[in-house]
Amino acid sequence: MNSATSAPETVDLSTLLADSRVTEVLDELDRELIGLTPVKARIRDIAALLLVERARKQLGLAGGSPSLHMSFTGNPGTGKTTVALRMAQILHRLGYVRKGHLVAVTRDDLVGQYIGHTAPKTKEILKKAMGGVLFIDEAYYLYRPENERDYGQEAIEILLQVMENQRDDLVVILAGYADRMETFFRSNPGLSSRIAHHLEFPDYLPVELEQIAQRMLAAMQYRLSGSGLAALHEYIPLRMKQPHFANARSIRNALDRARLRQANRLFEQKGRQLDREALMTIEGEDLRASRVFT
Amino acid sequence: MGSQAERYKSGVMPYAQMGYWDADYVPKDTDVIALFRISPQDGVDPIEAAAAVAGESSTATWTVVWTDRLTACEAYRAKAYRVDPVPGAPGQYFSYIAYDLDLFEDGSIANLTASIIGNVFGFKPLKALRLEDMRIPVAYLKTFQGPPTGIVVERERLDKFGRPLLGATTKPKLGLSSKNYGRVVYEALKGGLDFVKDDENINSQAFMHWRDRFLYCMEAVNKAAAATGEVKGHYLNVTAATMEDMYERAEFAKELGSAIVMIDLVIGYTAIQSMGKWARRNDMILHLHRAGHGTYTRQKTHGVSFRVIAKWMRMAGVDHIHAGTIVGKLEGDPNVIKGIYSICRDTYTKQNLEQGVFFDQDWAGLRKLMPVASGGIHAGQMHQLLTYLGEDVVLQFGGGTIGHPQGIQAGATANRVALEVMVKARNEGKDIWNEGPQILAEAAKWCSPLRAALDTWKDVTFNYTSTDTADFVPTATAS
Amino acid sequence: MKITQGTFSFLPDLTDAEIGAQIDYALAHGWAIGVEYTDDPHPRNFYWELWGNPMFDLKDAAGAMLEVQACRKAHPQEYVRVNAFDATRGFETTRLSFIVNRPTTEPGFLLKRHEVAGRQIQYTIESYATQKPEGQRYE
Repeated sequence: MNSATSAPETVDLSTLLADSRVTEVLDELDRELIGLTPVKARIRDIAALLLVERARKQLGLAGGSPSLHMSFTGNPGTGKTTVALRMAQILHRLGYVRKGHLVAVTRDDLVGQYIGHTAPKTKEILKKAMGGVLFIDEAYYLYRPENERDYGQEAIEILLQVMENQRDDLVVILAGYADRMETFFRSNPGLSSRIAHHLEFPDYLPVELEQIAQRMLAAMQYRLSGSGLAALHEYIPLRMKQPHFANARSIRNALDRARLRQANRLFEQKGRQLDREALMTIEGEDLRASRVFT
Repeated sequence: MGSQAERYKSGVMPYAQMGYWDADYVPKDTDVIALFRISPQDGVDPIEAAAAVAGESSTATWTVVWTDRLTACEAYRAKAYRVDPVPGAPGQYFSYIAYDLDLFEDGSIANLTASIIGNVFGFKPLKALRLEDMRIPVAYLKTFQGPPTGIVVERERLDKFGRPLLGATTKPKLGLSSKNYGRVVYEALKGGLDFVKDDENINSQAFMHWRDRFLYCMEAVNKAAAATGEVKGHYLNVTAATMEDMYERAEFAKELGSAIVMIDLVIGYTAIQSMGKWARRNDMILHLHRAGHGTYTRQKTHGVSFRVIAKWMRMAGVDHIHAGTIVGKLEGDPNVIKGIYSICRDTYTKQNLEQGVFFDQDWAGLRKLMPVASGGIHAGQMHQLLTYLGEDVVLQFGGGTIGHPQGIQAGATANRVALEVMVKARNEGKDIWNEGPQILAEAAKWCSPLRAALDTWKDVTFNYTSTDTADFVPTATAS
Repeated sequence: MKITQGTFSFLPDLTDAEIGAQIDYALAHGWAIGVEYTDDPHPRNFYWELWGNPMFDLKDAAGAMLEVQACRKAHPQEYVRVNAFDATRGFETTRLSFIVNRPTTEPGFLLKRHEVAGRQIQYTIESYATQKPEGQRYE
């Protein structure tokens, strides 16, 4: 960065983009996470905005430091933490965050159990997150108006201060269920006004969940037989209707249980020699044993 | 080798057949290993020469003796197990020789050296012989005290971290009276140096008796400490004719409250170890001047490499050792010097053939030895010194302080400012190797002593070909 | 006078940006940052008061600077220094230490000489500031 006595006349956005190596991170995000089309589109928008901000600054145009705090709303297992990590990298590569690390916490990391405990606890976390991104999952638990001895409000005050006065040092991402976050923001308008970008993480579509399952199995070096594939196809919509559905995480759990049943099935056949194929394959019966099918 | 009777029949037999050469020998973790650079006389087989060195530095003599059979002689024989031609130097061979631990006395450098170099260097079948490096087993290292203070504790005693320490030798080397001598010490310490030192041959002469020197120097040290709020020191040289005199001088230094004393290499290995023990018992930092080493360390073909001396001194127990400056007036090839600095400062030195370090050396918790860079260096070289030598070093600017046109305090201040500004720049991520001169010039704008120093000495360099360079250039593979 | 303890005391006082750069250097090496203060500048006063525990696991200087500024605010007329600790084998000690705040006037030290046998003198240095009790040393 040169301290030029006069600003340059033009700027080339594609050079700026190439130099920042942000495209790498966006491509990796595309590869890593299936679906999430609206989220990925939004991230590209934000990246473009920040890149243009940089360009404007280079040409000497006014800007002021943009607010970068965000909220991520959606059901569990929809990729919020992964996206937060990639967001930290993008912000770092565009020069908005100095170190680019992610510190992920919940309420218990920020709030103390007795008077005077909260402020140092919150400050410790903040100091470690500075230069990077602070991700607070289920942020609404910070606010418990029904319990008068709750110290969460103190943590919120400190956060508000830092989010306003130290925007160059820290980016905060609050995350959780959409409806609860909305209630939380309505009760804390100060927080809500500091959030520049709201990203909604939709539930995965059944076909997307199938793809996720296939990827997970491939990574573990398992495969589905024809009957297994058919069973999975039927399993997913049924599971989605059940309570406590956590998207990718629920798929992960289902696959783990299928592996358990496969292991038992193979154990019953322990007389014969088993080849790689046999050890790798999940059959329909391994999935159909689930309660979901009854 | 044939039967025992054959082996021990009277007469002369090649060393290689007497058991001093064994190509299949795998050195034990507890063996002491020596690496010699052998230049056999014309017509002498290199393996036989290596075996002969092994023999003559352990149990052999020039003819077979029956009394060998009264001993477990196979164990006591040193074994030459590997001979490599030296790259680019026909007629020279690197020979690796292993010695059983039992050959040596616990904790005795005198014994270690008498054993390895005591007999073999005058051996006629060799044109020249140099002890290049040694691997000391952990088992043996543990019998030595090692540096009485060490780098970490020295810094903690001085409360000085994050930068090299600064020193100077009083100049002129000889002739000043005690009172005038103390004046030089006061000015230099007040101006910003951490230490001043006696020169190696300042002991106790007609022009200055040691007691007077000690009294005036401690006045200077304490005045400077009060003026600056820093811990200051002067290396009081306690070298003397006898051990008893040395103890007397060291005790007086302690009584006067000095933090540090110094000794010269020429007092001998036994005296050095005694002083190391004394220093530890008396919470004293011990500085070693390597007086006289150049007589045997400088030529590549013959003598003892300084890296071996440094190893012995770390074991014997000194806290500072002069180890070369690279850019100053005395001998020092950059790679070889870096190798020596590694040997002084590492907790585990790794083999590095380009730097002439032939062996991995586990230092078994022996404290770290602070290298001292002294000889013809000045503030204008600060970026080179910091890059080459790092942070745990004492940089001594004798002429560079005392010869300053604005006076000794100014000279000291110039050096201290140059050092601090360079460390600060390095920490900020600047490329000090290339930007060093600009960084100094910037500081010279607000520090007139530094400006004067740069103007006086900016063209001084000492560019001569090194006589002692490493044999391995970067393309060689570590064999 | 100005006591010249610490790594950069011969240079003009470091700006906050420069202090941050040094802290970043220490963090890049994995060293912990500690802030300490004292009103007793004796060179062998090693144990300055701790301003909170040393900070481990920081990635950026901004966090540590908060503490530096808080300490300066709480003790504006005392010496404050930043230390960097290295826990690796062979060191396990301070690697960097520099002063970031000083009292407006530093009265310096008295050199006391106590004559003993022969020509010997026993020396003590005493800070003029510490002739007053704690809390009243730098007005």
